[in-house]
Amino acid sequence: MDAAAIPWWIWPIALFAVSFAIGIVAVLAGVGGGVLFVPIVGSFFPFHLDFVRGAGLLFALAGTLAAGPLLLRNRMASLRLVIPLALAGSVASFAGALVGLSLRTDVLQTALGVTVVAIALLIWRSRDAYGSGALAADALGAALHMRGEFHDRAEGLRIDWRTHRTLAGFAAFAAIGFLGGVFGLGAGFANVPALNLLMAAPLKVAIGSSGLIISVINSSASWVYILHGALLPMLAVPAILGVMLGSRIGARLLSETPAAIVRRLVIAVLLIAGLRALARGLGLWT
Amino acid sequence: MDLKRDENEAAAQRIYARWLDISTRVAFAVSLAAFLAYATGALAPFVPLEALPALWGLPVDEFLRRTGAPSGWGWLELAARGDYLNLACIALLPLVTALCYLRLLPALLGRHERLLAAIAAVQVLVLAAAASGFFVRG
Repeated sequence: MDAAAIPWWIWPIALFAVSFAIGIVAVLAGVGGGVLFVPIVGSFFPFHLDFVRGAGLLFALAGTLAAGPLLLRNRMASLRLVIPLALAGSVASFAGALVGLSLRTDVLQTALGVTVVAIALLIWRSRDAYGSGALAADALGAALHMRGEFHDRAEGLRIDWRTHRTLAGFAAFAAIGFLGGVFGLGAGFANVPALNLLMAAPLKVAIGSSGLIISVINSSASWVYILHGALLPMLAVPAILGVMLGSRIGARLLSETPAAIVRRLVIAVLLIAGLRALARGLGLWT
Repeated sequence: MDLKRDENEAAAQRIYARWLDISTRVAFAVSLAAFLAYATGALAPFVPLEALPALWGLPVDEFLRRTGAPSGWGWLELAARGDYLNLACIALLPLVTALCYLRLLPALLGRHERLLAAIAAVQVLVLAAAASGFFVRG
């Protein structure tokens, strides 16, 4: 069907509905939602990718802001993790956004697809540190008091956790933030594996903290898009309103959803988004 | 577990959650109201609604050239128009994080969490630098 034949007001309504659905899945998967929003909206809606990327960043920001209070109150997000790691990520994300707006889109899409698929495979092949018992904190993690206690109601477990490989974690968040800024997607697609597999935070704490970290990281990167004029309210507002409502529902479901289901959801979401981005970057499915 | 630090973290998380909740709800409500005024035509936009389908498929530079829309902070002068009032409301979202961090700072210092407070203060400076537009072409 020719997009021009559809009344213009259908598109904002459809965008609201799609954003609502992505908002639920994004919180459960611990991604910002931008990694889903940009490929889906960029493929099936008539908006240019510049505006889709700008809206995607604000979309991810809105979703994580809406979910944040519940994640903090349930102790699934830890400020001791979030504040230091978000600083590294937000500086790098801001720089990445500046770089990303000057690069070719097909190159960015291909690199994004490869990265996201690799992360999905890494999670699938690796064991969750959460189930392998408490690890000793490293010196930096101990100095920053990156530790906590999490009560997993779904599993009936009380987990005393602390981070290790903390310096590598900072480097990972700087790299993730930079790539997220370059791609205009936020940085959630890699936060969970970095927190869980690298730094040994429990999976649900990793997912909850990832959401809050995205809200900080995207707050700095989104200014690049706003000040470049790459934010179209008719596109951004329905998306933001949809994801804010959807992510509140997602946050309520998160504490009751078993970790194994969340893990499978994370892998499925990353694979779909990664393969879609790869296909677009290589010109196989534009 | 260090109970004192655990209590500090719980208190800080409650403060951050409360401010995040309230400020996000305000930004949400304001954005919705502004969008309704814009989408229904109650507040005249800078770019007419009926012209959007021919413009939203263009690259941003071409969009700005054809419409004469500003970049940088120039759009503030158009905040009385429906579309740019919406943009101003959307810009409240990245301000929410800075607001929550500013509220968190005295709470952290009051609990002698000086290292965490110092990191949070640097984060506020980073957000201020990003919003200044100094690094973005105008």
